[in-house]
Amino acid sequence: MAGMTSLRRFAPLRWLGMVPFFAFTFLFLILPTLYIVFGAFRTPQGAFTFDNILALNTPSIRSAYWVSIKVSFMSALLGCLIGFAMAAAVTVGRLPRGVRNPLVTFSGVASNFAGVPLAFAFIATIGPAGLITAYLRTEWGINLRLLGFNLLSTKGLILTYLFFQIPLMILIITPALDGLKREWREAAAILGASGFQYWRSVALPILFPSILGTLALLFANAFGAVATAIALTGPSLNIAPILLYAQIRGDVLGSPNLGYALAFGMIVITGLANTVYIWLRARSERWLK
Amino acid sequence: MAFLEISHLDKSFGANRVVKDFNLSVEQGEFVSLLGPSGCGKTTVLRMVAGFETPSSGNIAIDGRDVVNLRPNQRNIGMVFQAYALFPNLTVAQNVAFGLKVAGRAKAETAARVTEMLALIGLPDLADRYPFQLSGGQQQRVALARALAVQPHLLLLDEPLSALDAKIRASLRTEIREIQQRLGITTVFVTHDQEEALSMSDRIVVMNGGMADQIGTPFEIYNRPRTRFVAGFVGTLSRFEAVVKDPAKGAVSLGKQTITLDQQIDAAAGARVTLALRPEAAHLGRFNGCDVILPGKIAEVHFMGSVIRIKADVDGQLMSLDTFNRAETPPPRIGTEVEISLAARDFIVLSA
Amino acid sequence: MIRIWSWGALIIGMIYFILPLVGMTEFSLSMRRGEYSFDAYAVVLSDSQFQATFSYSVIMALFTIVFGVLLVVPTAYWVRLRMPELRPYVEFITLLPLVIPAIVVVFGYIRLYNTSSWLPMTGTALGTNILLMFGYATLSLPYMYRAVDTGLRAVDVGTLTEAAQSLGASWVTILARIILPNVLAAVLSGAFLTFAIVMGEFTMAALLDRPAFGPYMQLLGANRAYEPSALAVIAFAITWACMGLIQLVTRFTKHTRAQT
Ligand SMILES: Nc1ncnc2c1ncn2[C@@H]1O[C@H](COP(=O)(O)OP(=O)(O)OP(=O)(O)O)[C@@H](O)[C@H]1O
Ligand SMILES: [Mg+2]
Repeated sequence: MAGMTSLRRFAPLRWLGMVPFFAFTFLFLILPTLYIVFGAFRTPQGAFTFDNILALNTPSIRSAYWVSIKVSFMSALLGCLIGFAMAAAVTVGRLPRGVRNPLVTFSGVASNFAGVPLAFAFIATIGPAGLITAYLRTEWGINLRLLGFNLLSTKGLILTYLFFQIPLMILIITPALDGLKREWREAAAILGASGFQYWRSVALPILFPSILGTLALLFANAFGAVATAIALTGPSLNIAPILLYAQIRGDVLGSPNLGYALAFGMIVITGLANTVYIWLRARSERWLK
Repeated sequence: MAFLEISHLDKSFGANRVVKDFNLSVEQGEFVSLLGPSGCGKTTVLRMVAGFETPSSGNIAIDGRDVVNLRPNQRNIGMVFQAYALFPNLTVAQNVAFGLKVAGRAKAETAARVTEMLALIGLPDLADRYPFQLSGGQQQRVALARALAVQPHLLLLDEPLSALDAKIRASLRTEIREIQQRLGITTVFVTHDQEEALSMSDRIVVMNGGMADQIGTPFEIYNRPRTRFVAGFVGTLSRFEAVVKDPAKGAVSLGKQTITLDQQIDAAAGARVTLALRPEAAHLGRFNGCDVILPGKIAEVHFMGSVIRIKADVDGQLMSLDTFNRAETPPPRIGTEVEISLAARDFIVLSA
Repeated sequence: MIRIWSWGALIIGMIYFILPLVGMTEFSLSMRRGEYSFDAYAVVLSDSQFQATFSYSVIMALFTIVFGVLLVVPTAYWVRLRMPELRPYVEFITLLPLVIPAIVVVFGYIRLYNTSSWLPMTGTALGTNILLMFGYATLSLPYMYRAVDTGLRAVDVGTLTEAAQSLGASWVTILARIILPNVLAAVLSGAFLTFAIVMGEFTMAALLDRPAFGPYMQLLGANRAYEPSALAVIAFAITWACMGLIQLVTRFTKHTRAQT
């Protein structure tokens, strides 16, 4: 107590303990981001302008954003759905207890197995010469390519991203599912509700904020993923992060400030996803403190 | 045929036999409590009646209908849980309306019923609150309203008061009993609080190790406990070891005295039996209508307000006795030699 | 009925996860025609580039861990003990790296700390290495902070500190001798996760032009057939090892806690 009051008197001393953290995050997280944001609204000479933002409105850049959003959203949505189904199976699905921990451990591994090696794994499996592709062709005469599947496309990207999206959902939603009290299900049952009615009126509304939050997180996660996409498709696929990567390496857009605008657009989109999430969550959590 | 008929109910979890040959008949409109220590299987019995657990063997019939194979949502039972179990995402009104809504009742009917229920539990103004905005007592009342809204023909309460603090517990106790009597709803109430069971119930089932030790009215259970367990679990008792002299006449020797109980004893002459006595049956000093006088020495004095609980050393055994507080007489001092008078007919002979 | 659905969801999901792992393993063993061999691994492991980039990334990971621990533990402790009112803000900041794409952050680095700026970190190899380490530290910040904060919640920071202060311990002593050992499991969990992240990281290292393991893998992937799969297996093994160690550490401390 004595230490507490003496420290209260010297309030600046309390703040001193926070200096390293704030200095670091300001210099190496917030300032670089702000620099990009401001750069997006400046001419190379430093004057204020909207031109960079307007210049994003070309068919190629528009399509890059659009494909990125589609891939990120689809992989996030599918990741949420499948991850939810799997997490529900091991928590409330009456499976033997023994399957739960292995799944959670595996999810920890798989959610971190992203980037370049993940792309390699998928190329080796369903790439043009991959295990499954070859198996289907030689044993069943099925040619995936002729069926319209190509790993080096947006569909392939979504399929690959699911490998870390699903486990991430499992990791986040499993504790939330554990938080559903047995008494709620039983109270609903004894009041005459079917399993479906319980899920619709009680369980899902309670889980809704967690699900939404994970959706936003998964979206941002996929939207910023550069490594997997580059290793999978090379610099050819026209999506926002790859475009930005190429711009940083070689100024393919021909204007550094257009690069800032491109990056700014990415922040806006992930930021927007999270704002939507926060807004929806605030609405759905009136019943929580 | 009673309204709720439980016969030869058995339940094992793996090798652990939790409920053993449990039998109980509850009449229409009756309030029956299951009383017993933690882990004796009360909740398990209740959950089997509700349909959350399947009996290993035995029968449960409600209103003449065998329900063992019915799912919980087909049994038309109301249940209140220990931990409230209100749906946190629904308001009070929506919680109460839940059962009516899933049954597809008309909106107007539901609304009227909700208003009626909230009036019944005395919380008409809290319809739009969320559960987290309610106190524990209010939550439990809402849980009761939610259970009653669907007009179940059987109400199950699993320690609904044990999470509340003492004051609210006492007031809610009377409230629940009143509502139960007003609606005339058949009720099974689980508790490990003997005071609760004694004050609320028409009949009490004292459970021990998965079995019903004794079933009877609160008066019977308290005054005529049949087993050592029931005697020890319900109320306070002093115990005395005595030797049977004449079982037919009910004569036993207690210390140096021989006393004659007004009942036959189910044991051979020379056998040891345990006699028990409620603290309120013993008196300090000579007392009218008492035929046994024991010498003793005050060992402990607990002043509890209106009652003073005294423990006296009688022949090396401690004996509890209660006296009422009187402003003009201070409690006796520890170490004082006293005479304790009691009536032989108040002794309870414990068989098992 | 429910059980059938559950098994269905689980099994279909697991097939999706297992196939790529089987695929990459099979592929990595298929370098020699007609038979399984470890040739791809032999090629990779004897590649001097592999050795150089791998050890570079290991060293970077270790530095990142040390830096992260020194940054996060005192901060999380201080917030819990003295500045609880800052909690929401600090938590918000630590979660930002999950929202701001890494590529944007490193883009900012390149422009902000280039040779002609006020802090020309990219001017020297050492400076760039430090910058990259800072980048890695921001990437692992969300995980590190959460792990440590959870660990601190489990021990009663206030009481421990007061007890130590009453015995005359200094702040450094308190942090190093009292707090750190008590949150060691949490710190180690964060450390192993950081290790896994750094070993696989591609974007920052590539854009800062450092010879790290991630860019090496990408380069090899663009030019070779079987070796990338061998690399993927190795990377998967590293990730698996890190997660396994985290499990081990948590289980071990749970065990000792239960004993005391
Ligand atoms: N699902 C279950 N699986 C295994 N054992 C169980 C299960 N439910 C209850 N038991 C065991 O059955 C016994 C009786 O439990 P029950 O919950 O019926 O006791 P209770 O009388 O309600 O106790 P309390 O007063 O503590 O609530 C306990 O020993 C408990 O461990
Ligand atoms: Mg119980």
